[in-house]
Amino acid sequence: MKTNKALSVSLATLLGASVLLSACGSNNNNGGDDNAAAANDSAQPAEASTKKVTIDFWTFWGSETRRPIIEKIIDDFNKSQDRITVKHTYYPFGDIWTKELAAVAAGNPPDVIVNDINTTAQRADKNQNTNLTEYLKKDDVKGRFFPQLWDTVIYKDEAYALPFTTDTRMMFYNKDHFKEAGLDPEKFPTTWAELEEAAAKLDKKSGDKYTRIGYSPQYAGFDWGSIAMNFDKGLNFFGPDGKPVINDKAHVDAMNYVLANAKRIGQKNLDNFKASFGSKQANPFIAGQVSIWPDATTFYTQLRDYGQNVNYGVAPIPEAEEGSGHYSVGGGFVVEIPKGAKHPDEAWEFMKYLTDKSAQTYWAEKNFDSVANQEAANDPELLKNPVYQAAVDNMKVTKLFPFPVNAPDFLNLINPNRDAAILGQVPPQEALDKAQKDVENLLQQNAK
Amino acid sequence: MASAVKKRRMGLQERKEARQGFIFVSPWVIGFLVFTAVPLLFSLYASFTNYDITSRQDWIGTRNYTNMFFHDPLFWKSLHNTLYYVVFSVPLTTLGSLLLAVMLNQKIPGMKVFRTVFYLPSILSGVALYILWQMLLTPGSGLINVMIGWFGVDGPAWLVDPVWTKPAIILMKLWSVGGGMLLYLASLQNVPEQLYEASEIDGAGPIRRFWHITVPMITPVLLFELITHLIGGFQIFQEGYVMSNDMNAPGSPVNSLLFFNLHMFLKAFKVYDMGYAMAMAWFLFVVVIVLTVANMLLSKYWVHYEGGDNR
Amino acid sequence: MSTRAAASDGRYFQSRKTKQRVGKTILLLVLVGISLLLLLPLWWMIATSLKSLTEIMTYPPTWIPKAIHWENYELAWSKGHFTRYTLNTLLLAGIGVVSHILANTFIAYGFAKIKFPGRNFLFSLMLATMMIPSFVTLIPQYIMFSKFHWVGTYLPLTVPGFFGAAYQIFLIRQFFMSIPNELIEAGKIDGASHYYIWWKIMIPLAKPAVVVIAIMTFQGAWNDFLGPLIYINKESMFNLQIGLQSFKGQETTQWHYLMAGSLMAMLPVVALFFFFQRYFIEGMNISSGTKG
Repeated sequence: MKTNKALSVSLATLLGASVLLSACGSNNNNGGDDNAAAANDSAQPAEASTKKVTIDFWTFWGSETRRPIIEKIIDDFNKSQDRITVKHTYYPFGDIWTKELAAVAAGNPPDVIVNDINTTAQRADKNQNTNLTEYLKKDDVKGRFFPQLWDTVIYKDEAYALPFTTDTRMMFYNKDHFKEAGLDPEKFPTTWAELEEAAAKLDKKSGDKYTRIGYSPQYAGFDWGSIAMNFDKGLNFFGPDGKPVINDKAHVDAMNYVLANAKRIGQKNLDNFKASFGSKQANPFIAGQVSIWPDATTFYTQLRDYGQNVNYGVAPIPEAEEGSGHYSVGGGFVVEIPKGAKHPDEAWEFMKYLTDKSAQTYWAEKNFDSVANQEAANDPELLKNPVYQAAVDNMKVTKLFPFPVNAPDFLNLINPNRDAAILGQVPPQEALDKAQKDVENLLQQNAK
Repeated sequence: MASAVKKRRMGLQERKEARQGFIFVSPWVIGFLVFTAVPLLFSLYASFTNYDITSRQDWIGTRNYTNMFFHDPLFWKSLHNTLYYVVFSVPLTTLGSLLLAVMLNQKIPGMKVFRTVFYLPSILSGVALYILWQMLLTPGSGLINVMIGWFGVDGPAWLVDPVWTKPAIILMKLWSVGGGMLLYLASLQNVPEQLYEASEIDGAGPIRRFWHITVPMITPVLLFELITHLIGGFQIFQEGYVMSNDMNAPGSPVNSLLFFNLHMFLKAFKVYDMGYAMAMAWFLFVVVIVLTVANMLLSKYWVHYEGGDNR
Repeated sequence: MSTRAAASDGRYFQSRKTKQRVGKTILLLVLVGISLLLLLPLWWMIATSLKSLTEIMTYPPTWIPKAIHWENYELAWSKGHFTRYTLNTLLLAGIGVVSHILANTFIAYGFAKIKFPGRNFLFSLMLATMMIPSFVTLIPQYIMFSKFHWVGTYLPLTVPGFFGAAYQIFLIRQFFMSIPNELIEAGKIDGASHYYIWWKIMIPLAKPAVVVIAIMTFQGAWNDFLGPLIYINKESMFNLQIGLQSFKGQETTQWHYLMAGSLMAMLPVVALFFFFQRYFIEGMNISSGTKG
């Protein structure tokens, strides 16, 4: 039995050691991260008055470019008053929200978090974020934001978040390629038909292999789903009454447009081309393999850093026919108070600061993001940059499509049918009819 | 009657032995009760509710289950995808790692380095691995199709062609069979050398020796690998997410990579339909348990325990 | 033995030797071939880790860096806070290895070598727990640990290890089952307790398997991402895998740092395998196994 005792002792010791060690770990406040907020935290110990409050702020901005910018803003806020201290913690993109979900469920969420703009209402429906109506009565900040961004934070006529950043998609095009193909580099095609004509001239082949593809409507930046929205004048997949209109004629036309282009170039060639850049390391536009590239306007920063030799222009998304509208899509992020946060009042103060003109201007200047605050977005210094100016102008035709609360995963039913149509397995009309039926079925199931 | 009573009454020695047995397995039992049982039972209950984690949990009877079987086309699609993967990948990886282990169990100069090299891929995880394979599987210029081209054959479009996406994933998994090799290597040490010597004298060739001596002696580990690969195979999920053709459409193209657990994950964490996800989890749970029990029962006929108990 | 028989015997062994040599050469060639296939992707990682980001962004990708940037490693180390995160990860991995070896061999001994009523039922139940996808229990488990006030500490990541892990219990049990019962009987006759047999006889005899689970546990803790992410609330307590993720941005990824960091993070596991493999290969003889 001696071994028995020795064993239980050693087991107990180990268990104790692990408890101790993790306790040590949790006491250790600022180790590897030279995080300004954390340093602040330990600089002002617990002797502070009871009124002082530390709030937790979670972001996914941990890169060496973004982190210093958000931490400068936090630092400015902490210095601007002496009651609230914001503590910033970084978590990786995507996973941050899995963690938040668990934390909300367990009742220990952070006080402020950055989240996706298009799912704000969905979270409100699920009781994951805090209703801001009372705060808005006190400080009406609604007017700060672009109206279409404000619409996304509304659920049942009440606001649940404040927009922070946004983005908008435009066409980047290679002016040298345009010249080379005998096209006017200062005049980008205005309609989709004209674009396809220009694209054909921009293609380059050696033998039967493409060395350059003028334009393909299959790039993720603005693919069939977005083109369909542009064709139907900014409506997209749900009608004004909330009923699905997936097999709308304009959407079938958009698919036919995609297919005509694929037929000309050959779907196999396109697939090879897309796959060569699938790892997202090299960008085909910067590599000069593509002449026209739809992307969010922040793509400018990549061109600035890695595409110094690309002579490019930026233009609005084309329109279906003359005057029908250059509709584009946008996304972005909001700041919100997770349900059950300990210090919602202080969180609100900080959120107001984050979306106010000075913080938003600083963010836009340093990150080149389109910001949600209209005044900041129109800062004259910023507008000197032509791409930035174009992005702000493009906000007028930019639409956002929050996921419908009663069928947030409807895209999972549309995408496979879209793929089947593009692969030529099913004719477009039939594929979209099927998608329409699937989504109707989903809505019916969810209504129960 | 009398014999039944006798049977139930254990001897003092047996009772002492039984108590010892309980003591030895008690850490697991306690751990199970504390860390697993509660969440598990909770998930069973939740599968009969419309639980969405944060706002509601109302009893809805078997609706999640009927929805699953009769109204959700993606349920069957994802089940099909997972079964396809399991049927091909489990035997292939089990066999692959065994062959590798046998090859690496030889005395050849530099074997230590070879073993390490073969083990390397299984250490690699996360983004780097997926990016790597996306490059290798590029239809036009990717290394794999270039190599297939040496034989004068046009390689498939792999991750782009819905017919070839699952084989592509299986290929990627085969690349890292070195992890399974570890166990076989360890178990090959248990094969007594005399057995080989004896059979060599009998004039048995290497292949016969492999089948008649090596394989029977390592059947316990073979069973282990088979069962854990089966369980692991049913849980495939991340590959469908990160290797999909369109990053905004997990499981693409045409849902060919929408695996069962990926569908479950999307339901649970993207639309918060946790009740439904739990119902899916329990369905799979039952399927895998049935398969595992069948495997364990069948193992009586082919697994050989040198220790004496052949259970 | 007659001389004729001896002569033919000699010829037999000679031809056998040549055969063996040919076999070994073929095996060597096969191994080199497969190794190259396995190492090529790895080379690509190394090449990427030595390039500048601008070169990584060029198309077509280069297999040999035009200019070697060794400083990527140093920068990845400091930018990823690797010193701190390596220590944290080592702590977690160390506790993991010790707890897993102790608990899993202990429990497996009970399942493999002691007869008690309900053993088969408990064992099946244990196997069943392996089939639960981790994200099914993620939320309930988090809520539970939150009620224990363990969130924000390493306890949720370390304590469960002391209560056994089904996969490894099953593995060790398979090895224990192969150890003859007579050894235990003999030990018992000498008056040894089960604890003694477990600690002094079974663990040494199952050393290859013990080393295997040690390597597996170490690697598992080393590569763990979701666990620390969910339960740790302070950046100073993060582990390596979370540190690596910070190179992956919302729009652009710092591939050079990511690859350099991944390679550095891989090294300890590789070293562990390289140096410990003799523990599960040792005792190996030329004639064991089959000839390729």
